[in-house]
Amino acid sequence: MDTEQENQIIKEFTSKEYKEGFVTDLEQEYVPKGLSEDIIRMISQRKEEPQWLLDFRLDAFRRWQKMPAPHWGHLDLPEIDFQDIIYYAAPKKDADRPKEIDPKLEETFEKLGIPLREREALAGVVAVDAVFDSVSVATTFRKTLAEKGIIFCSFSEAVKEHGDLVRKYLASVVPVGDNYYAALNSAVFSDGSFCYIPKGVKCPMELSSYFRINASGTGQFERTLIVADEGSTLSYMEGCTAPMRDENQLHAAVVEIIVEKDADVKYSTVQNWYPGDENGKGGILNLVTKRGICRGSGSHLSWTQVETGSAITWKYPSTILKGDNSSSEFYSVAVTNNYQQADTGTKMIHIGRNTRSRIVSKGISAGHSQNSYRGLVQILPGAEHARNFSQCDSLLIGSLCGAHTFPDIRSANPSAIVEHEATTSKISEDQLFYCNQRGLGPEDAVGLIVNGYAREVLSKLPMEFAVEAQKLLQVSLEGSVG
Amino acid sequence: MADSKKPFVDRGHYTEVPIPSGEGVLTVGYGERCEKVFIMDSPEKTVPPISAIIAKEDSSVDICIVVLPGVDASVPVDVFMCGKGAKVSLSGIYLCNGKEKVSFRTQVHHLCGECVSDQKFNGIASGSSSASFFGRIVVAPDAQKTEAYQSNRNILLSEDARINTRPQLEIYADDVKCSHGATTGKLDENEQFYMRSRGIPEKEAMVLQMISFISPVIEHIADPELKEKISSSVEKAIREMV
Repeated sequence: MDTEQENQIIKEFTSKEYKEGFVTDLEQEYVPKGLSEDIIRMISQRKEEPQWLLDFRLDAFRRWQKMPAPHWGHLDLPEIDFQDIIYYAAPKKDADRPKEIDPKLEETFEKLGIPLREREALAGVVAVDAVFDSVSVATTFRKTLAEKGIIFCSFSEAVKEHGDLVRKYLASVVPVGDNYYAALNSAVFSDGSFCYIPKGVKCPMELSSYFRINASGTGQFERTLIVADEGSTLSYMEGCTAPMRDENQLHAAVVEIIVEKDADVKYSTVQNWYPGDENGKGGILNLVTKRGICRGSGSHLSWTQVETGSAITWKYPSTILKGDNSSSEFYSVAVTNNYQQADTGTKMIHIGRNTRSRIVSKGISAGHSQNSYRGLVQILPGAEHARNFSQCDSLLIGSLCGAHTFPDIRSANPSAIVEHEATTSKISEDQLFYCNQRGLGPEDAVGLIVNGYAREVLSKLPMEFAVEAQKLLQVSLEGSVG
Repeated sequence: MADSKKPFVDRGHYTEVPIPSGEGVLTVGYGERCEKVFIMDSPEKTVPPISAIIAKEDSSVDICIVVLPGVDASVPVDVFMCGKGAKVSLSGIYLCNGKEKVSFRTQVHHLCGECVSDQKFNGIASGSSSASFFGRIVVAPDAQKTEAYQSNRNILLSEDARINTRPQLEIYADDVKCSHGATTGKLDENEQFYMRSRGIPEKEAMVLQMISFISPVIEHIADPELKEKISSSVEKAIREMV
């Protein structure tokens, strides 16, 4: 084999690690670098927002300035210079054809496997809201959904067209001053998705948001607000990718979910931000606040997440179980390789009677990575007969990584039952031997075992996502064995 | 954002804890065996006489701490596994029925491989007492073939009592078997029904349930005399609680 050919093969193999790492070259408009009240006014003006939203942003910004950055995570977080970030970047619209999507953008999303044109995919129909840097570029199937009374659009449009709804629910689950990054997001959030399912409606298709960071030197601060009214049903998916860069880019999102009486919401995430290179250089800092409230009785919220990307993940999708008989689940697979760090978990706050929650967390660490589960289960005095079960398993691949478990259980009701168990171990030699003996190479064997280990969580994902997630697991662990 | 100011260096987040010396430190030398039970039964005894245990090669340590009602106990114990083959068992019982505030804080540092640690803490909180348990297991890098287990079980008997439990695992080596489990709950109604349908009065049934809940900790005390003494004082305390 000649050298050129050899290089080609090596190149192909290494680029396989993060195939979404390309940059789309297109004209974009930015606001100047930095963060100040003027910048916030500028963002608000550019988005033609009403006065109340500008006031909301400014209030958040003033609070954020007084807050200290949190350091309790089991993370080695690099210092973030908030003045060195561009808070708004949007692809320029063609003045002649303002309604149409830039073909380059369409190509980008096509490459990522996200069709912006409405058509039926083999696996089923999915409505997508595609967010590129700071703006939503397209929302598909809006008409079909509107026939059922479902509102699914970008956040900016929602503010203009359904201002009352947005105003009613915005920051009702994650208050402005909730935490440092949520306050920052409230001040500078650019776009995101808004979804409202009216009473008794079963959403006919999966809804999904796809987030893409493209511009260099920017951060993405999206805001998602989901409201499921009485008796409605919804399955929501979220995906994300970014180009490969040597710098750290900030992603600080807020997701709020309101689940009314007897409604059922399933929120699934496959997080695949650029994780940095094998030496831990670059990558996305994923500092996200996600919270839902089961407001009415009998409501149900289920979180499923597959976390494979990001240099640093700091994320705790939580549920407040306020309604009697409401229930929530949290299923998570977090994979870290090379120098990635993840501190993720959940909070289940039991307020109503007969509330139930279940936590299943599977952590896999390889390389030099650190992977932590951090969770809170709190039973308040009124939560009669509340029930929680948590299971957190960690799998270690290689002797240089770390796996940690930090649960916190607070019970203030004698009729509640809380159970937590956690285990940490490595892939058993027996299992590896068994696979090797049957002709599977070490890498395939590990892939197989890890997929089996994460099966309980992966099986909860919608079908479209499950296949993708399985592949991701395999790719994320590439090079971690032998 | 510009390039991150400092590249990520692999410190692995592991921070070394200095091994203590001086008062309150129990050092168990090469191949030695040590078994101790501390009963905290008077309001003056709020802290056990030892605060740290250093286990050397092939040593075997078994410490049991019993906190009886009426004591605002604060029990911090740090264990350092410093030699191969060391075995440490740490256990505790806490019973609170008044306004006590009981806190346990254990940290087991596996500094060396091939050691085994086992922790078992069971407690019952009644009245307006609050019990908190913080238990940390840290396995240092290279402390391979470690086995570390921990279990913390709690029963809440009254509306005003509070239980907080925070078990933690920090693992920096891969060839390990580590687990922890924590529960808070109530007395099983089915068990109660079973006993009451066989003519056992309600209070007696509760006493039996509570004794059986605590007994796994008492069971493993090896010295029969000591075991007898503890089980009788625990039984007495439980009868007073109901």
